Amino acid sequence: MKRLNQLPTFRIQYGKELSVNFGQKRCRGLEGDTIASALYANDVRIFGRSLKYHRPRGLYSLDGECSNTMMAVDGIPNVRAENTPAVDGMNIKAQNVFGKTPDFDMMRFMDELSWAMPAGFYYQTLHKPSRIWPLAIKHIRKAAGLGILSPDFHMRGKFDESYISTDVCVIGGGPAGMCAALSAADQGLRVVLLENRPWLGGYFEYRPREYQKGVPLYQRARELAESVGHTPNIRTFKNTAMIGSYHNNLITAFQRGNKSDIFTERYLEIRAGSVVVATGCIERPLLFENNERPGVMQIGCAHRLARNWGLLPGKRAAFSVGHDLGLEAAIDLADLGLDIACVADIRQDSYDSNLAAELEKRNIPFLPGWVAIRAHGSKTVNAVTLSSINATRRRKLSCDTVVASAGMTPVTGPVILPGGKLTYDNHTGFFLPATIPPQMHVAGRLLGLDDPFAIETSGLLAGLKAAADCGKPVENNLKEMAKNQATLPGPTRGTKLVTGPVKGKETFICFDEDCTLKNINQAMHRGFDVPELIKRFTSAGTGPGQGGIPGHNLPMYVAETGESPDRNPKPTTVRPPLVPVYLATYAGSNHDMSKRTPMHDSQVKAGGKMERIGVWNRARRFSSDTSARKEIENVRNNVGLLDGSTLGKFRIFGSDALKALQRVYVSDMSKVAEGKVKYSAMCNEDGCLMDDGIVVKIDENDYYMTASTGRAGQTIEWIRYHTRYDGWNFHMVNLTDAYGVINMAGPNARKVLEKVTDADVSNEAFPFAGYREFLIQNMPVRAMRLGFVGELSYELHVLSSYMQSIWDLLEITGKEFGIQKFGLEAQNILRMEKGHVIIGSESEQRTTIHDLGLGFLWYRNKPEAKTVGAFALKDTEHQKGRLKLVGFKMKESGTRVPKDGSPLVDSRIRGYVCTARYSWALKEPIGMALVDDDLCGEGTTLNIYEDGCKGKLLSAKVVSMPFYDPDGKQMRC
Amino acid sequence: MAFTITCPVCGIRRGYEFRFGGEDKGPMPPEESLASETWCEYVHMNNCIAGIQKEWWFHRDGCGSWFTIYRDTTTNQQVENR
Amino acid sequence: MRLKSNSNINGRLWGWDPPLKSSYDAVIIGGGLHGLATAYFLARHHGMSRVAVIEKRYIGFGGSGRNTAIVRANQRTQENLPLYKEALEMWPVLTRELDFNLMFYNCGNLNLAHSEAALKAMRLQVASAQIYGIQSQLVDPEQCKTLIPALDISDRPRYPIYGGMYHPPGGIVRHDAVVWGLAKGAARKGIHIHQGTEVTGIGVKNQKIVSVETDKGKINTSRVLNAAGGYSAALSYQMLGIRLPISVLTIQAMVTQPLKPLLNHVVSSGAYHCYANQTLKGEIATGAHMDPWPNYTNQSTARYIKHQAEAVTEFLPCLKGVKFMRIWGGLADMTPDMAPIIYGNDPIKGYYIDCGWGYFGFKSCLVTGKYMAKFMADGTCPNILKPFTLRRFEQHRLMGETAAVVNYSPDN
Repeated sequence: MKRLNQLPTFRIQYGKELSVNFGQKRCRGLEGDTIASALYANDVRIFGRSLKYHRPRGLYSLDGECSNTMMAVDGIPNVRAENTPAVDGMNIKAQNVFGKTPDFDMMRFMDELSWAMPAGFYYQTLHKPSRIWPLAIKHIRKAAGLGILSPDFHMRGKFDESYISTDVCVIGGGPAGMCAALSAADQGLRVVLLENRPWLGGYFEYRPREYQKGVPLYQRARELAESVGHTPNIRTFKNTAMIGSYHNNLITAFQRGNKSDIFTERYLEIRAGSVVVATGCIERPLLFENNERPGVMQIGCAHRLARNWGLLPGKRAAFSVGHDLGLEAAIDLADLGLDIACVADIRQDSYDSNLAAELEKRNIPFLPGWVAIRAHGSKTVNAVTLSSINATRRRKLSCDTVVASAGMTPVTGPVILPGGKLTYDNHTGFFLPATIPPQMHVAGRLLGLDDPFAIETSGLLAGLKAAADCGKPVENNLKEMAKNQATLPGPTRGTKLVTGPVKGKETFICFDEDCTLKNINQAMHRGFDVPELIKRFTSAGTGPGQGGIPGHNLPMYVAETGESPDRNPKPTTVRPPLVPVYLATYAGSNHDMSKRTPMHDSQVKAGGKMERIGVWNRARRFSSDTSARKEIENVRNNVGLLDGSTLGKFRIFGSDALKALQRVYVSDMSKVAEGKVKYSAMCNEDGCLMDDGIVVKIDENDYYMTASTGRAGQTIEWIRYHTRYDGWNFHMVNLTDAYGVINMAGPNARKVLEKVTDADVSNEAFPFAGYREFLIQNMPVRAMRLGFVGELSYELHVLSSYMQSIWDLLEITGKEFGIQKFGLEAQNILRMEKGHVIIGSESEQRTTIHDLGLGFLWYRNKPEAKTVGAFALKDTEHQKGRLKLVGFKMKESGTRVPKDGSPLVDSRIRGYVCTARYSWALKEPIGMALVDDDLCGEGTTLNIYEDGCKGKLLSAKVVSMPFYDPDGKQMRC
Repeated sequence: MAFTITCPVCGIRRGYEFRFGGEDKGPMPPEESLASETWCEYVHMNNCIAGIQKEWWFHRDGCGSWFTIYRDTTTNQQVENR
Repeated sequence: MRLKSNSNINGRLWGWDPPLKSSYDAVIIGGGLHGLATAYFLARHHGMSRVAVIEKRYIGFGGSGRNTAIVRANQRTQENLPLYKEALEMWPVLTRELDFNLMFYNCGNLNLAHSEAALKAMRLQVASAQIYGIQSQLVDPEQCKTLIPALDISDRPRYPIYGGMYHPPGGIVRHDAVVWGLAKGAARKGIHIHQGTEVTGIGVKNQKIVSVETDKGKINTSRVLNAAGGYSAALSYQMLGIRLPISVLTIQAMVTQPLKPLLNHVVSSGAYHCYANQTLKGEIATGAHMDPWPNYTNQSTARYIKHQAEAVTEFLPCLKGVKFMRIWGGLADMTPDMAPIIYGNDPIKGYYIDCGWGYFGFKSCLVTGKYMAKFMADGTCPNILKPFTLRRFEQHRLMGETAAVVNYSPDN
């Protein structure tokens, strides 16, 4: 179709052509077109088919409040054609169409079957007889949903995120929003201005009506936008949809990137000192039969189509409106060449008589007190029936466009989400904010203002209020501005009419869910009498556009029927995101943060198979052999090196440090001797094992302690928590990252160590459980002799910066003694052979240290310490009926290793295998299990039920632990 | 919601920097005075007030202090000491 | 334009607004799933229809209408397995009985393992389920991919997929349908559902329940069930001084815009702490996060919707191309061991508690209602409910439903 001649309000650029593919059809458009305007310019009227009844759907609001114009674009489903820029070469498909083009849909017969699908249809049918339900599900699933997403779909583009701190955040770049931004910025504040459309201007932007003598509104919009652009402390985000509003002025939004931007979309999180909501209004849909037939559209849609994109909505239009904007649009569109059949106005009076006179001047019939009750035409509109409100008179007119709107609806989502409350205002017919969250202000049209000066002044006022929130002394300005506001026109009286005299069978209150007025009536009849329940029962307002279309009509309609026990209309809940957002956009750059030990790079280089263990990356093993046999055998036979840097390491010091240790460790920590390590455990109040580690006394009131890798992040928090009431004098320093740890274990360990240090490390000078500090080539080392894997072993705590040097030195020196790296897998099996538990693997949340055989660590005679867990340890010491940890071997030799996690059974489940592995040292499978206490006697048979065994059990017997070197000779020698 | 907490050391910070530490129940009663029920009352039982309660928080991503605040559990907002 | 009355008074599903009587045989606080189910079974199995359900808002306002709607029976311990097994078998039965389609969509559940440790935990769950005759099996990554073609089973994700646990009998149920179906069933048996009615006090004499006070009047009764969901612990403490080991947290969930069939099973992941399933309407429902501090707000958070998008697109990368359209929150009453508290007649005779369900309140509602009704009718606790005693906490016998320590209590 031919576009209009150049208008000053155009957003398209003649001469810059592009083309998009709509199915088989090639559509020519211009730079600046949205997908919707490009298609419309090519005479596309049916953009898709509706969810349930496959009714044809087309342009309606031009702001994308409903699924009518959601299309598949380059494989991405549900793209909003109305606000997505057309890009040359785009492939566009209509959705929910069974057939080649949306003009012919093989499922259109569904529309004829709507009588068979009353509200709650699925709930009340399809389960009788019961065998039809599973079949019905298949068909329901196929019919449901709009877009198609391939499981292999790969989202292209760059998704960025930005966290902004500002003084004032203004939502909405219309006249009120721009004025608010300017007045706050004028006070020297930093302002962020968010606008959903690609340009500022909002309500003024496309309208030729006079703002003041000789200045049309669109020009005024451009002047304001220019001022905003020239104000350096206003940061404007266009193409940016506000999506969330939270307590304490946290605003979230996302921005669609332009060609020149480095991002496709960008997630924004804005923390503001004060927020101004100037989101304006959307139009409240007028409800009548076939009110969503292509050709029926809202005022703004028809008007902006012409003014921004040069497209007249059709040839001959009938208007049925309830707001002066409708009269204004009819006049302007008539002047632009549209044939206007008539303008019906819901209002009997209270319209602008100047506008009515202008209509008359153009010979356009004006019908106050009339309303559209039916659109005709099977695919697109070809006629409309109008009726007087009181249903006494009717008139049918032929037309291809029906411009229909019941009135305005304020966009209050940003106010409601953080806790604002709405009440119904009888004058405007709006749900207006009655309570507004602190440091938030509203301005502009959402208050019901229509006068341009009143709108701007309310913006200036809100900007000053925001400035006051930010501590600016603006009392006098505020007073002045409020005075100004009082002289200007207040909120306009709005229409309350939702629907004319219609039956409602084909009157759609929610387009997305194909929900009619009749369905709403059916729901109320079944007892769903409050809007929130009606919404759930009929699905109205739960589709892709959420409450955009039914939002305020539903509660107003329900209130009108008088069926609801609640006479005050209440809108249904609004939930974030206020505009649907790609998961890609929310996910943003998706940072992954994890920690690396000082040995990371060299471990990787040496072939370490790295794994994420909590926050850390650790080497599981150094070969592809999952059993890690070579690493294990080398530790038992020669000597191995393990990077244990992830171990938690802390200094705790101060005059009350010992008291704190007594509180959290179950043992008597006053017995920590100089030059010795003390091993102990921490329990929670239930007596369950939380952590274990060693404590070393470095000096008077000065200790060094370790925590397990997984626990290190909470150790300080834990100790401080359990001493929070005491006011004790102690301090803690987390040295986890400051020190690395090398575990050198194996019969040759001493030989290696002797070669690198001058210190006496003989068994006499540095015995088992000893602690020593010495130098390795001038590098200080804290060394401990621990059980670890059950061999002679040294745990060397080394400043992180020296780790690589000492490690390399040990590797070179140890070469002749067969030194090899080993990883976590080998460590776990080696430690298991010694009966050591891994918290969470051999223990559950409910496992006490008694259950684990570690009860000997508990020192009961320190009640004054109020040891954490002591009471429960006393209570459970001899308690029967608990799960206990035991060691087991297979009953018959040659039996394979049972799978971890397998239950132990007799007539019921009696426990389960925690960990079982083949022991290369013992040449047979060994395992640990948590079992009912009556089964923990040595020699007791355990029957193992593996998943999928179909009752064929494996047999094991309880044995004592440790499995390897029970006397501990190896580690003490 | 966008919860913030005022740490006595670090000032107003995002709520996610902190860890919740339970209702303020006072110090643990002496071990000798406890029976299983009273131990359980102290350790496991909560008032679960829908309203303002005094509670412990730990500034995990900050100074590392434990401190108490008053918070309205129905709005999830820190409130002034009553 | 009214449908013809085909049932009940004026065709309303759960009857008219009944007058609040001055006495009932039992009063149930909370018009959610557990309360309605108990009421229904009191009437159906025990001939008790002089029962009132008192609901402050409207039925299904709380957790009943906000949950994941996922049902399954592959619990961890043998105390739980029989209960959840029976629960799963009840959906089709109740659909018939209530003559209301609960829309049980038996699509099966796939739970992903992202580590050896997770596989081990699943092995225990799978084998335990098998012992109890519940279908459940371990699957390898390729089988996971066959079940859910959209999964990324490569090494790329932060937590690669090691395998999974597939549980064919599970699925999803339309939660609102269960609320309405139970209400319909209960109302038809003469039970009074009082919406918009708030309990303001509970009368006790000689350690016995004697009355319930509401904002609409006083009710004399000898039995009260506290089934107030997120508010049960607050109510118990405020009205009776009985404290419970509960932390009330907000759990969040969200849906994407509807799509044609993409996910044929419920899929969940412990490491990413989320689940995803496609509803019959075509939306991808996903969620599971809770901010680890008590609150009663029901509010969603900016942080979580972002986090959820990050997590779910890690293992289902194609979902980057769909849009979230709605997020909401609901209250979850969490216990220290992630198992519910079902208890009664101690320390006050006639006072019954059914709460602390945390994540599991939806799946269990029918079966709990059935046995809770028996408990309230007989006065003695049925064996199947005995493990859920309130006394287990002082007896140091936490249940083993979770092996790991929970993250919402200060005690870890």
